Amino acid sequence: MKNEKEYAIVMNGVAKEFKVLNRREGLMGSIRDLFSRDYRTVTAVDDISIKIPKGQIVGYLGPNGAGKSTTIKMMTGVLEPSRGELIVNGCVPYKNRTRNAEKIGVVFGQRSQLWWSLPLIESFKLLKEIYLIPDDEYNEMMELYTSLVDLEPLLHKTVRQMSLGQRTLSDILAAFLHNPQIVFLDEPTIGLDVSMKAKIRELIKELNRRKNTTVILTTHDMGDVDALCERIVIIDHGKMIYDNDMEHLKTYYGSYRTLKLRMPGDVWEEEVIDESQTDVMSVISDYQKKGKILDIKLEEIATEEVIKKIYEGVAG
Amino acid sequence: MSETMELRAKRGLAFYARIYRKVLAQDLKSKMSYRADFIISTFGMIMTNAVGFISFYILFQNFPSINGWNYYEMLFFYGFSLIALTPLQCLFDNNWSLRYAVESGDFIKYCFRPINVFFYFISEVFDVKGLGQLAFGIMVLVYAWIHLAIPVTVITMVQLVLLLITASLFMIAIMNFAAATCFWIQRSGYVMVLMFRFKDYAKYPASIFDGLFKIIFTFVIPIAFIAYYPALVILRPDEIPLLSYLSPALGMLFFYLSYKFWMLGARKYNGTGS
Repeated sequence: MKNEKEYAIVMNGVAKEFKVLNRREGLMGSIRDLFSRDYRTVTAVDDISIKIPKGQIVGYLGPNGAGKSTTIKMMTGVLEPSRGELIVNGCVPYKNRTRNAEKIGVVFGQRSQLWWSLPLIESFKLLKEIYLIPDDEYNEMMELYTSLVDLEPLLHKTVRQMSLGQRTLSDILAAFLHNPQIVFLDEPTIGLDVSMKAKIRELIKELNRRKNTTVILTTHDMGDVDALCERIVIIDHGKMIYDNDMEHLKTYYGSYRTLKLRMPGDVWEEEVIDESQTDVMSVISDYQKKGKILDIKLEEIATEEVIKKIYEGVAG
Repeated sequence: MSETMELRAKRGLAFYARIYRKVLAQDLKSKMSYRADFIISTFGMIMTNAVGFISFYILFQNFPSINGWNYYEMLFFYGFSLIALTPLQCLFDNNWSLRYAVESGDFIKYCFRPINVFFYFISEVFDVKGLGQLAFGIMVLVYAWIHLAIPVTVITMVQLVLLLITASLFMIAIMNFAAATCFWIQRSGYVMVLMFRFKDYAKYPASIFDGLFKIIFTFVIPIAFIAYYPALVILRPDEIPLLSYLSPALGMLFFYLSYKFWMLGARKYNGTGS
């Protein structure tokens, strides 16, 4: 049993509910809505308990609208949990938003948090001021960055002039600059090409290793999960439906493949196959009886499909 | 507890002033590098004001005075309100982008840094266009000042600066309120445009409006405090109303309330899903 202090994040029965106005239709409806007290309660996050040790990289997965963002917002102190206990770096994030913010870094894949019109080096200098980073720590971090990525050409570019890949890279460097205990990465590789994805994953892994930073990663990209995560947490409809290490996920779901077949009329048929149960060839021959197969693809199962499998497993 | 206190001390006024200076200097530098953009927008601002001034001039060719206020006194209000508008335009221009940031969910990024959200958001943009207006306002005010033969003493100068700050506070506060409505309602753009239009009335002495509008402009949408009540102190030193004396305190209070309202909205905000 670990001491509580060894955990970066402790969640105990955390739930978040939102009140949503039941909107009426039409103009009169909108006017009546102004005075309406007719709310329904939507539970975005439902009774989640989890302990994340320091230095772990956790993949936080789930379909859109599952409650991932809401959880992250609670962990970062932007939202207050409706129920339950949430401790991040030893304090309650919502009650100490600024204090919590000093010890975390956040990257949103599509939204740069840097100053658009400033060269990267100036953004870094501003962050140094904002996070009150001492000179020696700042210089040490810059040296580390220079050794990990080709930093020089980026430093004098403004964020506006950067490609998406460069911007993501810069955002990640900025998020680690004040040596935070936890970094939240939301879809860090979205929209990037294969080589940039690999570069970003390598960087995240290296920073995590050197600085023992806890990383909470939300993604739909199984490649991210494979390359980085030691542990997977999956939520759906606000409930935690899976929490186990990566090995477990691979053993149980690694035998799944998605078979895609292009049939006459240019229709793509999709079939998720568990190779330990079913033979791919027999599925293909079944289809062949229906019509001529024009094209075949066999893909690794996507995260979404794994989640679906896990969810079905729980529901069944 | 003690740690919190220590942090507060670390991130005090000096901290924010230092950050602000750095952001401004950097932002200005980058704006200057788009030189054509800078020149055209400054020129555009001067032209807008020149056109405004011409219509004002034509009006007075036909009326020697409005409700007891002569041409130069009206010019005084006019110049005064233009100068008082400058801090709003230069330093608080990002309020215009607030509703887009809130609608798109981008606003969330301002909530992750260990600094004041209002400060962080507002400091991001420095709008140089306002400087053209400032130059124009100063010219108009000096011109009116000379013609009205108002004495230039230490007292009138101190009064002027103090009153300009007061007027600016009111103007900024009105726009803070208007911008922050986007945390609760969609299409808050209309509210902002409406309020920004209202400030056009600020350059007229509130005494020319009849009872109802005078009350509205004093107590509901306090644009009478932008030029009228403060400027009375210098223009009519013999008959200063109580509200003029109270205006600096009211300005600070109103600004504080608008800040609180803005922060309340930001606190309530939870971003769109991502």
